[in-house]
Amino acid sequence: MVELEKIEYKPISIRELLVEIKDLSELMIDLAYSAALFNSHELAEDVLDLEKHVDTLAYMLNMNLMIAARDAEDAEALLGVSTVSSSANKISDAAADIATIVLQGLGIHPIIREAFERVEEPLLRVRIDPNSILVGKTLEELDLASKIGIDVLAIRRRNEWLLNPEEDERINGEDVVITRGAPAGLEKFEKIAKGEVRKLED
Amino acid sequence: MSAQKHVDTILEDLVKLKDTSELMLDLAYSSLLLNSKELAEEVQKLEEFMDQLHTDFELSILSFDFKPEESKGFLGLIRLGVVTEKIADAAAEIAEVVLREIEPHPVLKMAIEEAEETVTFAQVSENSSLNGKTLREAKIPDKTGMWILVMKRGDTWIRPRPNVVIMAGDVIVASGYAEGEEDFKTLVSVERQAED
Repeated sequence: MVELEKIEYKPISIRELLVEIKDLSELMIDLAYSAALFNSHELAEDVLDLEKHVDTLAYMLNMNLMIAARDAEDAEALLGVSTVSSSANKISDAAADIATIVLQGLGIHPIIREAFERVEEPLLRVRIDPNSILVGKTLEELDLASKIGIDVLAIRRRNEWLLNPEEDERINGEDVVITRGAPAGLEKFEKIAKGEVRKLED
Repeated sequence: MSAQKHVDTILEDLVKLKDTSELMLDLAYSSLLLNSKELAEEVQKLEEFMDQLHTDFELSILSFDFKPEESKGFLGLIRLGVVTEKIADAAAEIAEVVLREIEPHPVLKMAIEEAEETVTFAQVSENSSLNGKTLREAKIPDKTGMWILVMKRGDTWIRPRPNVVIMAGDVIVASGYAEGEEDFKTLVSVERQAED
């Protein structure tokens, strides 16, 4: 039995909801393709988890839109918002379709996978070991883009997702961090995250 | 066709499907932001291109002489193709909001680009310090506060992925606070600065 979040009206700004739906749907596409490339069930599960969350957000957005529209003029003005939200929701569904391909064990043919890896910038999902030197540092202090050529796309902290995290966000132990960038940089980041390497730069 | 060549064709089509669908999404959101019918029409044109590409891709897969045990992997590929088509459809729906002249609600603009104040573009000059750098190295948002929406090279639109290498002649479309516009144009179009 699938557990679904209960939908209750919450007065959240339409803008906030739309930003979150849009950002999540885009992150989900990237995660989903990576799940397919690396045949990663963990990434695929993350995508399915996010998909349910996007559905909940879309319901909440719809409720807030209904309350916001008082007359025909409002309805016309808000139509674009509801169309865009429903399109973004479809994109998150598409990402979930990719995740399902992975979880059903269909995968993509290995020869294609090898070639695909050459043209796509890889993505890394890694859990931060509590002993890693990354723990307690802000993204600004780490300056990963300059030092090892990678970007942090998202951080999963327990059940919460931080998208495009701010520069002053601190990395905690047990965070799951999703990064993208130069393969050598990702390899290094993985070792540091796991606490196997204790310095960012040589 | 040799097997290797056949695989290359399938791969090439898949990469094109994926890139085109994501590019359509970037263009669709940009068309909303700019309320630009021109960009929205570009999305619709790409949708037709997608349809053709998707058919070619499927035919290419179906005509591959694969062994029964490989069929799962090929089914996975076909489904991946369907997904790119879904993403392209969603992008086309977003562009349709602009083409139908539904007045874009301010909330939409705010959602697409929170700091959105202005949208501008500049062409990369031969002498620009950006010439030959990847977008990640160029750090345009850090230096100017402007966020890159999309790039154009000749007639081709390019998604602003961090690993894209900037070339002289590229047109970079960006948005952000009006204060950043001047810095952005200087960085992109004017001669190499002393720091380099």
